[in-house]
Amino acid sequence: MDVKTVRDVAKFAHIALTDEEAERYCKDLGDILSYFELLNEAPECNERGVNPIKVEDVVREDIPKVEYDADQLLKDMDTYERYVRGPRLS
Amino acid sequence: MSMNDVLRNLKAINGRYQMFHAMTDDAEPGDAKFLFSAKDNLTSYDMETCAGSRILEGYHPVFDATSIEKLRKAGGKLIGKTNMDEFGFGTFSTNSGFEIPRNPYDLNRACGGSSGGSACAASVIEDHVSLGVSTGGSICCPASFCGVYGIAPTYGRVSRFGLIDYGNSLDKIGVISQKATDLKKYMEIIAGKDERDPTSMVQPDFKTAYRKMGSVAIPKEGIEGLSKEVDAIFKEAVEQLRSMGVDIDYVDMPSLRFAMPAYYILATSEASTNLARYVGMRYGHQDGDHTLKFDDYFTDVRTRYFGDEAKRRILLGTFTRMAGFGGRHYAKAREVRQVVINDYKQVLKDHDAVLAPTMPFTAPKFDDISKMSALDSYKADYLTVPANIAGTPHLSVPCGYDSEGMPVGMQFVADHWNEDVLFSVAEDWEKQFDLRRPEVSI
Repeated sequence: MDVKTVRDVAKFAHIALTDEEAERYCKDLGDILSYFELLNEAPECNERGVNPIKVEDVVREDIPKVEYDADQLLKDMDTYERYVRGPRLS
Repeated sequence: MSMNDVLRNLKAINGRYQMFHAMTDDAEPGDAKFLFSAKDNLTSYDMETCAGSRILEGYHPVFDATSIEKLRKAGGKLIGKTNMDEFGFGTFSTNSGFEIPRNPYDLNRACGGSSGGSACAASVIEDHVSLGVSTGGSICCPASFCGVYGIAPTYGRVSRFGLIDYGNSLDKIGVISQKATDLKKYMEIIAGKDERDPTSMVQPDFKTAYRKMGSVAIPKEGIEGLSKEVDAIFKEAVEQLRSMGVDIDYVDMPSLRFAMPAYYILATSEASTNLARYVGMRYGHQDGDHTLKFDDYFTDVRTRYFGDEAKRRILLGTFTRMAGFGGRHYAKAREVRQVVINDYKQVLKDHDAVLAPTMPFTAPKFDDISKMSALDSYKADYLTVPANIAGTPHLSVPCGYDSEGMPVGMQFVADHWNEDVLFSVAEDWEKQFDLRRPEVSI
């Protein structure tokens, strides 16, 4: 792990780091990832489930309904003419 | 303490112990049959829900989590949302954007995490039940540190609808209480299928009939690295179990030592994607500078409001998912999860449960926690993580007190969907265990 990699990952994750933070997270992540090398000693296994239990598809009738009122959902949102406000794209 | 007394004194109780992030203003129980609290990562229509994070400050959901909805329908009154590590990221409930709950047995010590406020409320308030959420040990750890009973059921047993996710393949909603008998009583209410959470739809019936625990297996890997006092108290508790007619065997479960790194890879990978939705739009803080460009706006809000540990886990999870590293370690972590499940299944063919102390030490002082590195803190989870990664139900009971009066817990792990045998052993244990309640003053 090096500071440049930490900064690249942080940029990808939309987090800005000060120099002090970049150094500190670099050391922390380096220590943690070194410890994770323990996994190299773990036995092989052909199975790789996504969930710890078997999950099957359970389907139901597709019935249109309004579960929550749109105005209720918008009440705490920053909106403009009932559209959620966000940053500009360019 | 009657329900009236609890409600009238709620602010004073919270002033001393800091278990609640949000509380009811209602001083009257009305026709409530019982009072309950819920971890603050479960949505509630009448109280702010922040999951311990400043980024969600001001979020007032318009719906209840299924587990809260079910307790209300059963006559419960929600009295507060409990403090926790931000999004569940911690072992001591000290990684919070808000208040840090204090241990009922010593206010200078932690409650454990991440459901620390829930365990604190269950310990301090009589006849109280609190909903906790476990991803890597966040119910049993605080239950152990606060001297109460806690169960994390099988993954999928309780609907996760309305839960603010940490790791979707790991999160489980459970119950914490002073009374072992409460665990079954309230789990029966919140368990069950819910079409709003597909992972809850495959569960078999919830078994509640008494089923005596005949034998337990103690893995050698589960009794390494303990403090001297926890080791001695656990040995006494094992002898007590033996005298109750439970057969004890010592076994090898070598896969357990790989569970911790596998857990942190899976959990942070899932967390880093789940937290991508918090960008200063729709809920929580929405005070970003709209003159900024798209990416800069998101970065500004996330940088200001995510806490230190949240950032660390986002960075770790983002890194482990990246090409190269991800292909190697993420896939391996998924394999290890299956190896741990297979090991549990093998041992549980001949035993009703796997047993070990819940935590390797008693609740640490805040000063000592502040000196721990991130890795030290992660390593402290080595006893609770295996059952969580396997999705197997696990239950912590208080089993003794150290020389400073701090509680010690032990944790039983059963096979998937076998919560019944855990309830039975906890209720049998409760009948003969001398529970020392903390001296509660407000």
